[in-house]
Amino acid sequence: MTDSTESPDLQRRSGLRRLKEGTYGGLFAACAAVTLLTTVAIFVTLLSDAVVFFQEIPIAQFLTGTNWSPNPAGGGQAFGIIPLLIGTLVVTVTAAFIALPVGTLTAIYLSEYATPNARSILKPLLEILAGIPTVVYGYFALVYVTPALKATLFPEMSTFNALSASIMVGIMTIPMVSSISEDAMSAVPDDLRQAGYGLGATKFEVSTGIVVPASISGIASSYILAVSRAIGETMIVVVAMGAQARMPAVREAAFGIPIVNPADVLLESGMTITVAMVQIAGGDLTGGSIPYDSMFALGLTLFVVTLVMNVISDIIAQRYREEY
Amino acid sequence: MATDNTNAGGFGEVSRVRGIAFEYLSLGASVIGLVALGVLLVYVTIDAFDLANASPEWLLTYFLTLVVPFLAFCLYSASDPEVTRRALSALGGGLVAVAALFTAIETFVAPIPRLSWQLAYLFVVAMPVTAYLTYIGSRGRAGGVGFGLVGRLVGGAAIGLAVGTLFLVFDSLVWFLAYTLGVVPAAALYAYGRRRSVNWAMTAAVPVGLVGLVAAVFLRGVIVTYPSDLIIYVWTLAIPVAIAGGLVVADRGSRLAGAATGGVPLAVAVAGGFLAGGFGVPGPTALIVLVTVGVPTAVYLHRVIDEGDGLVGLALPVLLVGGALVGALVVEAWGVPAPDPWLDASFVTEAPSRTAEDAGLYPAIVGSVIIIALVAVLSFVLGVGTSVFLEEYTPESGILGSLTRLIQVNIANLAAIPSVVYGLLGLGLFANLLGFGLGTAVTASLTLSLLILPITIISAQEAIRSVPDDLRRGSDAMGATRWQTTKNVVLPEAFPGILTGTILALGRAIGETAPLIMIGAATTVFSAPASLFSRFSAMPMQIYAWANFPQAEFRYGVVAAGVITLLIILIGMNGTAILLRNRAERGS
Repeated sequence: MTDSTESPDLQRRSGLRRLKEGTYGGLFAACAAVTLLTTVAIFVTLLSDAVVFFQEIPIAQFLTGTNWSPNPAGGGQAFGIIPLLIGTLVVTVTAAFIALPVGTLTAIYLSEYATPNARSILKPLLEILAGIPTVVYGYFALVYVTPALKATLFPEMSTFNALSASIMVGIMTIPMVSSISEDAMSAVPDDLRQAGYGLGATKFEVSTGIVVPASISGIASSYILAVSRAIGETMIVVVAMGAQARMPAVREAAFGIPIVNPADVLLESGMTITVAMVQIAGGDLTGGSIPYDSMFALGLTLFVVTLVMNVISDIIAQRYREEY
Repeated sequence: MATDNTNAGGFGEVSRVRGIAFEYLSLGASVIGLVALGVLLVYVTIDAFDLANASPEWLLTYFLTLVVPFLAFCLYSASDPEVTRRALSALGGGLVAVAALFTAIETFVAPIPRLSWQLAYLFVVAMPVTAYLTYIGSRGRAGGVGFGLVGRLVGGAAIGLAVGTLFLVFDSLVWFLAYTLGVVPAAALYAYGRRRSVNWAMTAAVPVGLVGLVAAVFLRGVIVTYPSDLIIYVWTLAIPVAIAGGLVVADRGSRLAGAATGGVPLAVAVAGGFLAGGFGVPGPTALIVLVTVGVPTAVYLHRVIDEGDGLVGLALPVLLVGGALVGALVVEAWGVPAPDPWLDASFVTEAPSRTAEDAGLYPAIVGSVIIIALVAVLSFVLGVGTSVFLEEYTPESGILGSLTRLIQVNIANLAAIPSVVYGLLGLGLFANLLGFGLGTAVTASLTLSLLILPITIISAQEAIRSVPDDLRRGSDAMGATRWQTTKNVVLPEAFPGILTGTILALGRAIGETAPLIMIGAATTVFSAPASLFSRFSAMPMQIYAWANFPQAEFRYGVVAAGVITLLIILIGMNGTAILLRNRAERGS
């Protein structure tokens, strides 16, 4: 690129052209900056209103209170997050009981047993499970699953209950577990499988004894992502679980140990963090009231929890990944 | 399976029971979610179309007049005796099997609510066989032509209706001025520059167009007399679409054929637009739909007739419409008791109501279409810009490289933030701080665009990454700048992939409810929104509102109809995306 007179001009000195190049580059950079700005905006929006909220309600009271009633009829608001955490935990754990085993088995089947033909049909079909709008799942839970369960297994079930909502959340998160786990299992090199067969292992032993341990970091990170998705799930629980923030009834059991009967929690209505936010949003949204600010405090909690889980999932996938 | 069956040569017996049990367990796990969803979808379909009250005669009539001719068409198109044999044995054997199994369950276990063996046969055997035969048939020549024609008719009508809906909120007069002052001169300059290889004309096209658009906004209030809506639509929509269609054909064949393909649908559409008022149909809508259906159909017909292969397929729309008409006539003539579906024409054209019988989804559909149109533009521009920046403009190492990695990690994290939190962002930032208003279409579109942005970016990045590097290097070697390479090589090559990803992401946006609740969208509005800043509802919001109604007619009827409408739109969008992807894969 010497700039002598003989050599052709390779530097593109034309000002207009360079301006044009720079303009387009700048436009693309601006688009990319929007994604960073979104994160900052979410954080600032949540934090600014949450700070106002925490000036009214001390953080300790918010985190340890066992009563959630933002808009009571007779006055005396209470903002304790514990019942909401219990509701969220119940839905998440129950959904995980469905999504994690089913998703893992699905991933094993897709990666180890399925013929290429079956895989090419099953994989897009499973993605449908994640593509159905969640309000539709909520409607299914309320109108079909609850009456079916009531008629067969649990006659004492209430119309709005945690169980059918959790089942639907579980079904919805199956593809999250299965697709990420399957990617991890497919990345296990064939040499390992062949070595297993060489030692006389059966297909079952190779699948469960070699492939699953070798891809355990991917499976674990898929679990965390699915659980974080279940924590943030809104419409299914809003439609099917009702909106009653309650502490589970503690029963006096044998040996003096207090025990919570799972049926008391699962078959009754409850409230998750997301439901509490939606319930407040049904009222006044112009800002300035404590319930309005409390939404942002709840949102901040949700944001922090899901962000931390994502970071953990990332770290697990990075650090414990087997390098082949 | 290599070692499972080797018990010769002194090796010990290997138990296969555990392995086989595990294989079937995992197979069961992979289909259980799908089966559960399938059963739920069957029930919601039965509720939406009131099939529980359909008499067996009614089902049989339509099965014979509509389904059987369609299956025969597919089998003819496939013209494979093996497929025919398998399909017939599945239909026949399935009939016996389903009837027997169903009766056995009803007698020995428990009655199955709201399902008869005829319905079970319809959903378990007839629908999968039809889907399979549609797939097989579409690969034959006649079937390909037939489905291509039906696709253009249906897709054209859908696009026409959507465009017509957009003009409910966008000022058609501004559009008229912008088109006349901006788009037409810019397009003319560009075409002139391209034809005569005049560089300045092509460069000037963009600024001229922008000046025209700005002038249009300012002149909107100054000019007082405008032509009627119908003439505006003819000038700004029908004529350009017809010209585009004509040019496509003229490019391939003769100029005369091009003029005919553009001119005939245009004439029909204009006539239809002026006559539509007499039938109680709004003229502009009729005009737009006729143009968007007519021109692509004419272009397609010209191509098919030109190739002269599989012309029988052109009879498919006639077969379907004729079958439906004959079925209706038979039902009418013999007085076969017919079900009263919740999902019918009045459901999608009327406003919500307190009584289940009159309830409709029209304002919510309009709201959804408007939001999705805005979201499509916003997320497409932002998504393509970001992915081009990340893939083409930034190095992988150095300080800029770590900035790229930061953006990348940030996008992955954005994708995992719950949608309800995005709703809070919309509420706090767009609705209250920036003052776009609670529950307006603008607030909703901005919120949903940010929500699906990570998905759009990730899929656009994949599409751009799959463009072979040879093409870029070739373009660089010819002295192209980075922008020229991006514009002329990378983006055209990656476009189908980007479009597919965007449509799939839009499918996600159209079903989102939680963010809409958080920004204060109305659950029920009784008239279609009149501007971008008026309160609106969307399909999932309306479904959410109805699901809370305690009456059984709402729970089992109206909501089911709403759910099916939403799912049909979703299937249409995702199907289009998959077709685009398949076509692009075949092409390359």
